[in-house]
Amino acid sequence: MSRYLGTLILTLSLLLIGSSCALAAGEEIYQVEQGFKLVPALIMVALLCVYIGVGFLSKVTSTSGYWVASQGIGKLGNGAAIASDWMSAASFMGVAGLLYLKGWFGLGYIIGWTGGYVLLLCLIAAQIRRFGKYTIPEFLGDRYNSHGVRLIAASVTIIIAITYSTAQFKGIGLICGWIFGMNYTSSVFFGAGVVCAYMLISGMAGVTRNQQIQYAVLISAFLLPLWFLIRKAGGTGILPQLDYGKILSDLMEGKTAVGQVDVDTTYMIRQAYLPWGKGNFYHFLALVFTLMVGTAGLPHIMIRFYTVKNEDVARKSVLWGLFFISLLYWSSPVYAAMGKFWYPTGGKAVADVIILSAPERAGLGSAFIGYLASGALAAGLSTVAGLLVAGASAIAHDWYATVFKPDCSDREALTVGRAFTTGLCFVVILTALNPPALIAQIVAMAFAIAGNTIFPVVVLGIWYSKSNKYGALAGMSFGLGMTLLAMFGWIADIPMFAAEGILPATSSALIVCPLSFLINIIVSNVMADKLDEESASRSDNLLRKIHNLPGYVDDEKNANKNAFAR
Amino acid sequence: MASPKRVDVNFFAPSTASMKAEVSVARIIIIFWALLSYGIPTLIWVTGLADPNGLGESFITQTRFLGFPLHYWLVAQGCTIGYILLCKLYCTLWDRKVIHHHSKRFGGDR
Repeated sequence: MSRYLGTLILTLSLLLIGSSCALAAGEEIYQVEQGFKLVPALIMVALLCVYIGVGFLSKVTSTSGYWVASQGIGKLGNGAAIASDWMSAASFMGVAGLLYLKGWFGLGYIIGWTGGYVLLLCLIAAQIRRFGKYTIPEFLGDRYNSHGVRLIAASVTIIIAITYSTAQFKGIGLICGWIFGMNYTSSVFFGAGVVCAYMLISGMAGVTRNQQIQYAVLISAFLLPLWFLIRKAGGTGILPQLDYGKILSDLMEGKTAVGQVDVDTTYMIRQAYLPWGKGNFYHFLALVFTLMVGTAGLPHIMIRFYTVKNEDVARKSVLWGLFFISLLYWSSPVYAAMGKFWYPTGGKAVADVIILSAPERAGLGSAFIGYLASGALAAGLSTVAGLLVAGASAIAHDWYATVFKPDCSDREALTVGRAFTTGLCFVVILTALNPPALIAQIVAMAFAIAGNTIFPVVVLGIWYSKSNKYGALAGMSFGLGMTLLAMFGWIADIPMFAAEGILPATSSALIVCPLSFLINIIVSNVMADKLDEESASRSDNLLRKIHNLPGYVDDEKNANKNAFAR
Repeated sequence: MASPKRVDVNFFAPSTASMKAEVSVARIIIIFWALLSYGIPTLIWVTGLADPNGLGESFITQTRFLGFPLHYWLVAQGCTIGYILLCKLYCTLWDRKVIHHHSKRFGGDR
């Protein structure tokens, strides 16, 4: 135990040194009121104490406890955990920011991020639960009987964890900057210290229990200020999610908090709220499709289905998870509309902090905004925790314990897992210091990776018995290669991969994902004769298990052949 | 080459009765999902083609529903409500078709 405390203190002191040395600042922070804010700071510190306190109360010792909390979480609890994992800084701050900037077009993020759950439910959830092991790389590695597939899947999990966490750290940085009046760089380090400490102490059993608390804090933080905001904007204050319709319709005619705006500004607002003012039909569909297949292919969401009692609970927790998530997504457009109402001409610089600056401009008390900010911080924190666990488990479990050193002890794997969690955290900090895009856009790129690589191979793995390791390797390499190409193209400002290009990094899956399916199918069929007996029989055995077919042999315990253990 | 018979799983040609039940449920939901996700944007696109400014203005954007411009409400709230109902429908259909089927098999009806 003292060893972990030592690691912890070392990490924290490194991070603190880092934050005091930091110099540069994010531009966004200057768009909101600056300086140290006492009340929000107190709220935030109190909240963090609760989180870390719960972490202390739920220490874990065994490896399986660290990766997935024991399989005893009900549908509501697991739904809340799905939602809490889901509700990241991207949903909290990023979606409102994009809706503020892009108007109707930004709604693509909302349907993309909710509709994906329907796909997940129909094609993946129940079957993954029947498989019943720890990680997605493990599922793929077993299904295709190939270390290559397992390694690519683990690498993808890590790349997703890094990309996604970068967006969260940007959000956490902006929030800490707002509360403590720090510059962006120091607050990224500060936030990272909190995340690392939290992660190293608790492990996932703690994370799961926290996630229900976090969901409650988070959703109330997001919803409560709306009632006050909507009244200040002249709504009835009964149900803000319906009230803002009138305000939005008025906005399209140029009626804002600062009175009737001039013709040009009215045109700009109108353009944002009409369908194709901020992007065309193709870009909308591409975005929606990418986010949907990405949602269904996200390893850290899929991992949630191992933690439930049975597949019935797995199905129903998707329903509850989606409902909990929708509560947030029915509300973020309200913030965006309120932002437009009080601040009709703000640009990119203000977008990611619109949930703070809109209430600030409306003169909402700092306690409310502080609670809101703490909620956003909680959102970022819980998502980062889930992601880093998925990433670290990919390294420790799928790289180290399975491929490189199969005979290592549980304890050794746990230590490696913790070490890599810290390592990942540092990589993320480095990326977050110079974020390439808006929060929601960075997250969308992570979804493109999941949708282009993981989704096709998981769906074919479950639903197409002819798919084999050669097809899987070809399809995944193609998907990963194309997505990374698009991402680097975006960062390098190549028009083809930019937001208005043919293959935007945020929405590459409409083209790449179907091709990845096709390549997997074609290569699998061409190479069918080359497949060895062992791979064929192992994948058949797994398919029997996940589809409840007769003849399944449990080669690990060789017991309980009852395929309908419900 | 004599090899043991491989397991045959194909979403479009389910082999066992239980898989058929699962696939039939999933298929219904996916069709509705596609209609919601791509049908509504397509409808907005088609009706908006006549707008000379290319912004997609049409009777859908001019109609007000619950105070919202209809095109906005449909995507911001209509679709998400639809998805939740679809998930509910999936669970209901599953309970009715698949679990019913399983229990029949449990009863020895092979």
